Amino acid sequence: MAGIIVGLILLVLSLVAPQQFDRVRGVALDVTGPITGGLHEVTATAAGIFTGAGNYWDAASQNAELKRERTAMLQRMVEAKAIFQENQQLKATLQLHERERETIATGRIVGSSFNSPRRYAILSAGTSDGVRIGMPVRSPSGLVGRIIDAGTLASRVLLVSDRANIVPARMLRGGTPVIAQGRGDGTISIRPLEVGRNPFKRGDIIITSGTGGLYPPLVPIARVVKLEDDGAVALPLADPATTSFAIVEPPFEPEAVAAESAPGALETP
Amino acid sequence: MVRSALGPAPGKLGRKPSPLAAYLPAATVVLGSLLAALPIVATSGWYPDFGYLVFISWRLLRADPWPPWWAAPLGFVNDLFTGYPIGLSVALWSATMLALDLIDRRTMWRDYWIEWVLAAVLIAIDQWLQWRVAKVVGAAPDFVNMVPAIIISICVFPAIAWAVSRADAWRLGR
Repeated sequence: MAGIIVGLILLVLSLVAPQQFDRVRGVALDVTGPITGGLHEVTATAAGIFTGAGNYWDAASQNAELKRERTAMLQRMVEAKAIFQENQQLKATLQLHERERETIATGRIVGSSFNSPRRYAILSAGTSDGVRIGMPVRSPSGLVGRIIDAGTLASRVLLVSDRANIVPARMLRGGTPVIAQGRGDGTISIRPLEVGRNPFKRGDIIITSGTGGLYPPLVPIARVVKLEDDGAVALPLADPATTSFAIVEPPFEPEAVAAESAPGALETP
Repeated sequence: MVRSALGPAPGKLGRKPSPLAAYLPAATVVLGSLLAALPIVATSGWYPDFGYLVFISWRLLRADPWPPWWAAPLGFVNDLFTGYPIGLSVALWSATMLALDLIDRRTMWRDYWIEWVLAAVLIAIDQWLQWRVAKVVGAAPDFVNMVPAIIISICVFPAIAWAVSRADAWRLGR
């Protein structure tokens, strides 16, 4: 049947040259994006009522705990401010120029690829907000992923937990360079760049290193939850299910990314 | 064809198929594909491929829910809405139509369990193919992660098949 042949040709095309279908995928996102966004409002409100009610449960002891946490946080904040000032001075003496990090767009994560082995999310911001394919996406709590399809009103994000998303990273404790790669099941596998002793401990925070030029440095990615023989399994800090707002930023070093995605270079390893 | 539906139903005077009867099955398949737009943010891909479930439910119920070549455009719509690589559902759905036509010709009789087993096999092939294609671009998780998705889809199938049979009775005015 001709349908099978047509389908196979399309499939090979979309695997070999995915950018062929950018336009048509964008249009499809524009059709479903607003529906998803509208429904998301409803479910978010309903979920908010339930968790809101749950928060009143055990309010007194929660209150005491929060007060304790707040005094601890205040101390840490003063320390951080002092460190920040010192840092500024040191940078000034080194004459290090730091660029302002700009925000292209903010959107809500309204949907996901819940019926596929790939890990995508739908973001309610598109090309009309300035979003372009390849831009990194983060939330206040950590790195979310990068844009792979962009429609006018909505876009599709390749989450950090997707197997095809490899992020150059390092450990917050010690700064050991590592590689973070999604596992396709909502977790991330972390491997050290240098072969040797397993440097990870449970609870270690992994942050982006900025290598490669796509993702900005110092964005938290994940927290180590399980050790393995040659690495560790980590949970993303920005859980797309609870992330309400996501921020789209321009590629950190656009020149480096352009050079890498030039013809001849592999797009996804 | 064995299970042709749109002919006159005997003994039901004054009741006839609704004017849109020929298009309702395809419309429900598109609706199934559109379920991918539900605002579910999951970290695992364990939800069923609703478009395909509705598709095989119709095809198992009737031999002629739509002209055979419609499988390709319906698959294309599913690919677009679900974010699968374009062409995956086009090829798979066309192949499904062909396979079920062959099976229709070979089998003498069918019952509830045989249809469920057939659906289970088709669902497993669907999920395996998705996994295989993800593997080509280096994005496949361990196959163990696909097993819950397959089991959930197989368990959801009877519910979808029931809904489709209700829709079929309604469109034919029975």
